[in-house]
Amino acid sequence: MGGPMCFNTGDPVGVAGEPFRRRRLDPARLERFLPRRVTRRHVIGGALAVGAGVSALRLLSLERKIPSVRSAVVPKTEGKTVEWPSPLAQQTARIAHLLRRATFGAGPDELEAALKLGYGRVVDQLVETPPGEPPAVPGNSADIGALQQWWVDHMLATPTPFAERMTLFWHGHFTSDYRKVGTGQPYLYWQNLTWRKMALSNLASLLMQVTIDPGMMRYLDLATSTGKSPNENYSRELLELFTMGAGSFGEGDVRAAASALAGWRLPVAADNSRVGIFEQRRAYSGGPLTFLGKTGRLDLKSVIDGILASDATATFLVTKVVHHFVSPAPQASYIRRLADEFRTGKYDFKTLMRSVFLSPEFINSQSYRSLIKSPIEYMISALKALKAPQLSGLVLEAGEQMGQMVFDPPDVAGWPNNDAWISSSTVMARINFAVSALSQLRNLPPAGDLARLQLDGVLSPVTTRLLDQAGDDRTRWTIVLMAPEFNLK
Amino acid sequence: MSKDQVGINELKRRDFLRAGLVFGAASSALAAGYAAVPDAFARAVYAAKQGGVKNDNVLVMIQLAGGNDHLRTVIPLQDPKLHDLRPVLAAQSVPMALPLNSSFGLNQNMPGIKSLWDQGKLAVVEGVGYPNPSFSHFESIRVWETGDPTRRQVEGWLGKTITKNYDSQGHPLTGCACGTTNVPGALRDLHATVSVINSSRTFGLQGGTRTETTAGALWKGTPGIYGALFDTAISTVQETIASVRTAMRSQSSVRYSDNAKLVYPSKTELGAALQLAASLITSGSGVKLLHVTLGGFDTHQTELNRHNDLMGYLDQSVAAFYHDLDIHGFADKVLIATWSEFSRRPQENASGGTDHGAASAVLLMGNPVKGGFYGQTPSLSDLDGTGNLKYTVDFRAIYQEILNNHLGADAREILGQSFDRVPFLKRPSV
Repeated sequence: MGGPMCFNTGDPVGVAGEPFRRRRLDPARLERFLPRRVTRRHVIGGALAVGAGVSALRLLSLERKIPSVRSAVVPKTEGKTVEWPSPLAQQTARIAHLLRRATFGAGPDELEAALKLGYGRVVDQLVETPPGEPPAVPGNSADIGALQQWWVDHMLATPTPFAERMTLFWHGHFTSDYRKVGTGQPYLYWQNLTWRKMALSNLASLLMQVTIDPGMMRYLDLATSTGKSPNENYSRELLELFTMGAGSFGEGDVRAAASALAGWRLPVAADNSRVGIFEQRRAYSGGPLTFLGKTGRLDLKSVIDGILASDATATFLVTKVVHHFVSPAPQASYIRRLADEFRTGKYDFKTLMRSVFLSPEFINSQSYRSLIKSPIEYMISALKALKAPQLSGLVLEAGEQMGQMVFDPPDVAGWPNNDAWISSSTVMARINFAVSALSQLRNLPPAGDLARLQLDGVLSPVTTRLLDQAGDDRTRWTIVLMAPEFNLK
Repeated sequence: MSKDQVGINELKRRDFLRAGLVFGAASSALAAGYAAVPDAFARAVYAAKQGGVKNDNVLVMIQLAGGNDHLRTVIPLQDPKLHDLRPVLAAQSVPMALPLNSSFGLNQNMPGIKSLWDQGKLAVVEGVGYPNPSFSHFESIRVWETGDPTRRQVEGWLGKTITKNYDSQGHPLTGCACGTTNVPGALRDLHATVSVINSSRTFGLQGGTRTETTAGALWKGTPGIYGALFDTAISTVQETIASVRTAMRSQSSVRYSDNAKLVYPSKTELGAALQLAASLITSGSGVKLLHVTLGGFDTHQTELNRHNDLMGYLDQSVAAFYHDLDIHGFADKVLIATWSEFSRRPQENASGGTDHGAASAVLLMGNPVKGGFYGQTPSLSDLDGTGNLKYTVDFRAIYQEILNNHLGADAREILGQSFDRVPFLKRPSV
């Protein structure tokens, strides 16, 4: 890749080598937010005029009593944006915010239990509790529908939803799809178990595992790469999408790593193995290779060592984690701080996630509702709120229309996030999901307190008005599940 | 009918609505002459931003995502070097190719596009690329989408075209992505409103107008950093529903399948997306710039059968689409173009596939096209340092020809510079 990498010029994160991802970390989209956030903050009248300084307590308790004030909120017109007033100064809202982002949202009981523990201990519990094991796949894992349903069901049922959020995160990062991997072998099932087991391990172990994971070996063709004629597919994406980011390595590095990683084949039944098997005779047998500035003998371990020695790696991964869990437009200093810590902490994921959740940036007012729930998160959180796990089949149907179904990412960069989830087509699909889910339920949980429980009591004037006008719980549920507030986190 | 006769220069949103209603009401009378009326209607939709409406031509960009191997699409028949570089793939491609002339043949699975060639409706531009090529899918896709090899631009070239030339706020179907859930990068622009229609089957809001009203109210004026995005999305939903509803009302009178023996392939999403595109075009919904995608071209491994299949999907989908347009009287208006982020490396690998390459071939199809070969075929004996072909035609020269001579836009305004003309269009159709 000879040319200058000028693409980062407009990136507010200022991360060298941040790659272009279609629909993912697209600076074009980030740019849409930043200027507005900075320049379009508008005084909105009444009690809300103080913006971030609004008392969370008032918001949580007074939504009924201050309709006149709410209707004073000026709806956004061209060139003006009002901010969500952040309730995160208040413990309840802070914990609800954490659980929305780290899990699939909390019901009244979960919220109450978490409140008793306090924020810090909830974070401990999230990162320290080992993942709940999913049951065996019912039926046949060669049936992709059954496999997808199995994971969705587990997301709804698991006592450790943070493990599922992390597994989903890695599934989008070290991604594979059933179309290429196929379902004749249980490779994707194995991969899912592995990602869950290693979701909070460390980068070195996970990269080793990812490279020789049979699903990945098939998805990115490492299984057929030989030293004589290396296949560059895995090598390139290992550097570009998995660890360092475009611009932080050269074409020579791709070729060197492709040679070094050749020689692995898929396991056969006789191997009794769930990882690839190395065959010396198919491996690279030529002279020394130059990889990331160092020349010498190169194998899987030294490729990973080289990647971990590069400063770009921590920055790249931390940026992605932050875009998923904290903010679409983080400050460069925040990324630098977390990346330094990640690097010196031997790339330990638990430490990283703990730092993320405990960072002031996670709970500051700019962070509030700055992320858009992915389709899976939106649907799982809706069904959990409705206490309706029996509707999990709907997740499979609707997910495709919203742009996300597990084991079927759009491309090798996995799924996009945040604003890329919203188009005229996907908004329609989200609304249709809410309507359709509610139409299939005869009994609904009480909705009297929904605005406070699900939406922190922070509502737009329209949502407030419609909820005030709603005559029954079904209408209230419809409004809450359709509302932008519930689509954000 | 000249532009002046229908007075389309002055048309605004109001007129669009009125025309729509009139059209809807009159639809029962259209069975005989349906082709002419949607045409006029389509003209009416293109209210230009500054009163300078260009024409009623339509562009359909087909993305071949993953890097299409052009050496297995437009196959060199006489070059022995091809057999040296890819003994397996060449042996299985060259003998069965469908010859276009003595030097080149189309992939064996492309009889439909071959027939367009025979009618002078296929142009092949050889050697298409850009300086300092990126071998990253995502970077190179971005280069093609933004029309900027220096990777500084963030808006898509079609998005920019919409912003500069059309009033998309009132007409969200001006730019439309079919068969996907997201706005493709090429159509993206901060100031352009663009529709995304995944499938005609699932298009629409459950719960009807009540849902539409509630959702419309909820999503409009959303506070926070996503406010504008949510606002645009829901307005686009409403506008698109209205446009499609109006347009489809017209089409219900056309016994579509009886008029044509259309066979859109059912195996691929491209077929469904192009069928949707055809119904949007022929019903007069006002679509102008359409984008569809066929994925799966990243053939690092076992390329032969997979790529043959893909060529077949492309061919059947395009052939059915062209036929559909033709019988509805729209074929003169529509230019079909393929694009892919890069081609494959000339040398095959041990997995029976090919790695990421550089210069590619672009196909342009339809009645507006002047059939033939354009550009200069890069030499297989003169590869660059990465073992790839050296490009001879800047991909933006193709955009330039489309913009200037098909859409009637100012290419220089969109692309920032001028290129040597690649005259693959019959005539400036402005």
